[in-house]
Amino acid sequence: MGRIAVTGTSSFLGSRILRRLVDARGADAVVTVDIAAPPAALGGVRHQMLDLTLPGADQRLVDVLQDEEVDTVVHAAFFTSPRRDSSYGHELESIGTLHLVAAAAAAGVRHLVMRSYTAVYGARGQNPNFLTEDRRPDPNPSLGWVRDKLEAEQHALAFAKRYPSMGVTILRFATILGSGLHTFYSRILAKRVVPVVFGYDPLVQLLHPEDALAALEAALAKGPCGIVNVVPRDVLSLLTALHLAEKVTVPVPHPAAYALADLAWTSGIGAAPAGFVDYARFLFVADGEKAKRELGWTASYRSRDALGAYLAYRYPEKADPLHEAEA
Amino acid sequence: MKVVPLRPKTTRSRRAAPPRTDRDLRARLRTLEADLERAKAKADHPEGLLVTLARFAHAGTRGLSWASLARLQSALYFAWHSEEVDEFGSDRRFTETLQPLFEFLYTVWWRVETAGIEHVPAEGPGLVVVNHSGVLPYDGLMVKLAIRQEHPARRDCRMLALDMFALLPVLAPLLAKSGSVRANPENGERLLEKHELVGVFPEGVKGVGKYFRERYKLARFGRGGFVRIALRTGAPIIPCAVVGAEEIHPMIAKADWIGRPLGFPYFPITPTFPALGPLGLVPLPTKWSIDFADPMDVSSYGPEAAEDPILVNRLSEEVRSVIQRMIDGRLARRRSIWFG
Repeated sequence: MGRIAVTGTSSFLGSRILRRLVDARGADAVVTVDIAAPPAALGGVRHQMLDLTLPGADQRLVDVLQDEEVDTVVHAAFFTSPRRDSSYGHELESIGTLHLVAAAAAAGVRHLVMRSYTAVYGARGQNPNFLTEDRRPDPNPSLGWVRDKLEAEQHALAFAKRYPSMGVTILRFATILGSGLHTFYSRILAKRVVPVVFGYDPLVQLLHPEDALAALEAALAKGPCGIVNVVPRDVLSLLTALHLAEKVTVPVPHPAAYALADLAWTSGIGAAPAGFVDYARFLFVADGEKAKRELGWTASYRSRDALGAYLAYRYPEKADPLHEAEA
Repeated sequence: MKVVPLRPKTTRSRRAAPPRTDRDLRARLRTLEADLERAKAKADHPEGLLVTLARFAHAGTRGLSWASLARLQSALYFAWHSEEVDEFGSDRRFTETLQPLFEFLYTVWWRVETAGIEHVPAEGPGLVVVNHSGVLPYDGLMVKLAIRQEHPARRDCRMLALDMFALLPVLAPLLAKSGSVRANPENGERLLEKHELVGVFPEGVKGVGKYFRERYKLARFGRGGFVRIALRTGAPIIPCAVVGAEEIHPMIAKADWIGRPLGFPYFPITPTFPALGPLGLVPLPTKWSIDFADPMDVSSYGPEAAEDPILVNRLSEEVRSVIQRMIDGRLARRRSIWFG
């Protein structure tokens, strides 16, 4: 059996899955492909310094993958939060993935597991309550953060179709929230006052990190499955989540919300660009049936457990943060 | 020389005197146990809205902080919302809070008379097809309540709400939390596959936004999407006619130039709205009747029949004429809009 290559080892999922793989299969079975070396604590993990954004990265990567006898790649080099420097995001996520899948196909990699987001479906008023994997993604075109991820998915699917020897699994994770996680969602949740869209209260899915890692391991064990949603056991209304977290919510009417969010983002105060207001208005709840059917995996945590885990991490002084809300 | 006492002289403490006898000790233990029980009960059942409000009023602006404001907001929210919703976002506590208002509308305001409730299946899936009217979707609420109150199985009917309501600010969460689901084929099929009772309004916007002069003339039944989901899931179709809802907000004109920029498909002008302001939103107290007809079993056609447009159109037209006949029958017997 060949080695497993992991990209994006500084990301939350990348670093956690790396640790688990090293624990389960030994340091020699894993190779990291990243611009940063893995933590020294994981001593003995093979590391290949490589910048996926550089021209010609795919040629170097073919050599690396062949030398290391890699047969499975875990691709986790994605930005969890939107960046103001959108061109680097595009280079890393869209072009970097293109380089990676091209190299993987050329090097005879058997299975590519890629991290993605349920946010790629886009929050639309027209969405059904549960989005299945065959639904055509229709995100807000102004969101580069989402567009790059969608392009990355398309590159992977196109190569898998062209080179059938390489199978892909694209795991669309719901919003991950838990201890040790720093994303723009957690930054918003760390504030005292949270703006919400007046008159809207969509359902959200919050995924516990343990569930996310278990799904990733299940996908590695199972083999190529195409696109799979990875979602928690239930849904939670956005306002319920914010009030459980004891936030002061400030309702903003939606015609003003986009303009204000835009202003906040450009002036450097906001955590996310205006297109994300969609996600506070409309549904983007994904259906978890396929994961159950194909991966044999179901979430063991509810959305509120993920919220509780994050709050316990963020506010350690509160014994039971979820019940503090009403005490 | 004055002696300064090292410890200020305490006045007699209000606390219980140190216990002397065994009996005193027991009594003290009992009070402590009671205190503990009370503290435990308080921790298990967090204080409600009234206590929080009273505490807030008492503290006044001195106690104002982000934390206390957040606590007040969350107490206000959880006073009528529960912490958990079902997978479609229906909130049990929210429904229970609004229930008395809906029951008042049902029994007192509109004095709804229900007939043929036995045609609604006691178990398994079912698609209740209803005529739509009344500018605001009160008819959906009343059909839901009729099945809930009058049917022996007390079934919950999930209404499929039109986009114009399901996407409107304020109304959107209100409908979702009271058990409605946005109308689209995926949602309908998913609910029917879970053996739920589902209510649809195939007339859509054309029905609910009818002029007063067009009352009780059924509009086109969409493109038969409701027949297709019934065919695909094998659920029986139960035609249902609501009479009385057409007159609650008699729309005499539409002001699209106001409605369109606000995102409404129409802006109604009735004799009372907007002339009387918010008072014009009070629906007129007409007398309502809700009739259910024999269920139509479409399972014999098989799920692939959903792709046959001729059959779909025929079934759709059949359901439409059953409902129109029920409406005409009721109207012929009705002598007064207000008293039935």
